[in-house]
Amino acid sequence: MLEINQLKITLGSHALAYQQHISSGNIVTLQGVSGVGKSSLLLCIAGFIRPTAGSILWQDTDLCALAIEQRPVAMLFQENNLFEHLSVLKNACLGAEYRSTKHAEATVTEAAERLNIADQLHKLPTELSGGQRQRVGLLRTLLRPEPIILLDEPFAELDSQTRAVAAQWVADIAKQNNKTLLLVTHQEEDVKKLADVNWLLT
Amino acid sequence: MKLTNLIGVLFISMICSVTLLAFYGLIAFSQQGADLTLLSDSYFHAILLFSIKQALLSALISTVLAWPIARAIYYFPTIYLKRTFLSLSLLCFVLPTLVLITGFVSLLGLAGILTPFLGDNWSLYGLHGILLAHVYMNLPFAVRALHNQLQNIPDTSWILASQLKFSPWQRLMLIEWPALRGNLSLIFGFITILCFNSFAVVLALGGGPQSTTLEVAIYQALKYDFNIPEALTLAWSQFAIAGLFFMLLYRSSSVPWLAKDANLKQWLPRLSTTNKVLFSIIYAVALLFILLPLASLLPGLLATKYSSQLLFNIFQSLALTLALGLGTAVLAMLLAYCIMLPIRNSIIVQRQQLQNILQWLANHTLIAPAMVLSVGLYILFLPIIDLDELGMIFVVLLNTLIVLPFAIQQIRSRLIQFDQDYAILYRSLKLSFWQRFTIEWPYIKAVIFSTFALVLLIAMGDVAIFSIFGSDHLKTLPWLIYQYAGSYRINEASFASAVLLFVYLVILLNIEKVKSDA
Repeated sequence: MLEINQLKITLGSHALAYQQHISSGNIVTLQGVSGVGKSSLLLCIAGFIRPTAGSILWQDTDLCALAIEQRPVAMLFQENNLFEHLSVLKNACLGAEYRSTKHAEATVTEAAERLNIADQLHKLPTELSGGQRQRVGLLRTLLRPEPIILLDEPFAELDSQTRAVAAQWVADIAKQNNKTLLLVTHQEEDVKKLADVNWLLT
Repeated sequence: MKLTNLIGVLFISMICSVTLLAFYGLIAFSQQGADLTLLSDSYFHAILLFSIKQALLSALISTVLAWPIARAIYYFPTIYLKRTFLSLSLLCFVLPTLVLITGFVSLLGLAGILTPFLGDNWSLYGLHGILLAHVYMNLPFAVRALHNQLQNIPDTSWILASQLKFSPWQRLMLIEWPALRGNLSLIFGFITILCFNSFAVVLALGGGPQSTTLEVAIYQALKYDFNIPEALTLAWSQFAIAGLFFMLLYRSSSVPWLAKDANLKQWLPRLSTTNKVLFSIIYAVALLFILLPLASLLPGLLATKYSSQLLFNIFQSLALTLALGLGTAVLAMLLAYCIMLPIRNSIIVQRQQLQNILQWLANHTLIAPAMVLSVGLYILFLPIIDLDELGMIFVVLLNTLIVLPFAIQQIRSRLIQFDQDYAILYRSLKLSFWQRFTIEWPYIKAVIFSTFALVLLIAMGDVAIFSIFGSDHLKTLPWLIYQYAGSYRINEASFASAVLLFVYLVILLNIEKVKSDA
């Protein structure tokens, strides 16, 4: 269970408040108008923003007391998810411990094939389109072992067909590995396709 | 605190301990502190004023003259030998002072090639000789730094300016000046500190008590009078004033003068013929200024009587110079990288004050008088260990401390840039130190190699520290040049200088290659 209790974040003069309990293994879509604090909540769970009050409990452990590196969280940011000077494959293998390089490459390639980016793996990120970059980041985030996955507008740059493929892959991997997933989206189709719970922030 | 940060803090503490030990060595030996009565002495006021005056004038002339030269090579990118000019500019900055002084003496000394054309009153010695040498070393540095700043102006600014039909004045004030403004004061401050602490130039060209700086006065107080209280007063004063300059300087970021030259400017304002001619003249004068002292080594080179003993001496010294330089450079790079770890962390967690303190402590050897460090440690360790046997280790260690601020300054921007771009990402990926390093390495490789070569060159030019800890049977090449020049064997000095110059050029060309490959 992920419990967000009386959580308060202050950004300048703007105060944001959150309250929600999410069952383990659930997919929660986060919606709300721009500036309502969707990304800030994800950044706070990941540890990049410090809350002014409240707590975030995961299996009864307060995440706020843990360093970023100790939190059981994998996050996909809206942008800047890739090291520009490393190959796509190398980027995709980061953040998870594989048995061997061969195993890492096989796992990544299999996922990349489902996301239609297998032929991009040996390129540099600068050679990829926005949508391809986003899928590389998405792939890496979902393959990481952390039980909590935070995705900040993961399908924003994808066309509708690719979006459907990527969303299905996310749902499959999340359910298969019992991941608790929070996903920011503005699209109703993502909510319909993925959400166990839709959390509308106001 | 993470282990990696702890190692960095440990290294910073070690550097500070060396400085403290050196001062302790002097204080313990004399059994008294600084002689504070000196502060009201007119001799002290005179050298203090002269130190500040020559430093400010050197920095002012270098910075002001560098601007038109930097503009010339920026606005006229196809100008003849531009890349060579930029490489030579780096050479001037790292050139061993003794090579430069040998060149200046051949050119403008008593029997110099140009001296007959300069009138009866001309003398290379005194304020203008010092200014000339300081400007020679620092003007090209300023040109490189300003040129790099100009290269950072995005093409879109020029496109917009031309679309909005900006006048040359508007271009200058609205585009060029904002790009340079921040760095002009940094460059000025950096040169001021270097010239304020200048030793070899002032010692060689100072010309008597009217033209003495604090650093030289410390040397004289220690070498001739062995007056430690006086040396301590002078040292503390130098430390305080240079420290003040340094604190002002370090409030901003470092000057990226080794940065890769972006040669792919697509868009620049079109130059009129008048401007092209004007820029060509400015550039030619600058090139001549850089080349003349180097070319003036040639007559001595041709007049040298080559013997196998001379060649053996020179190449043996060269081998020692390279070995000591390499040891220093490896150690300095290792320290610089480790020291940057806690500094980077303090930037990431936004602890500005901690960052300033760590940076100041890590770089304090830029302002600590090298003579005090060397003599203080020498006195302290003389009764304890055999310095004849272990002197070379001290040469490497002390040179490491002297070149460390340059190493930190050069790698700092790139490492901070990496953190700015990727800190959130690598923290989110929970990478181990080693994983992070392997990702970081391709990003910083070029700057690490070019900085390595730079600190190697600076360390290879050392004379001051070797003069205290060096041995009589093993000599470095700069020390050999000093001995040849001191015994009026100017031809041999010119030959040895030319060999050293050649080695410097080879290393410099490699720096440029590494940067262009990156």
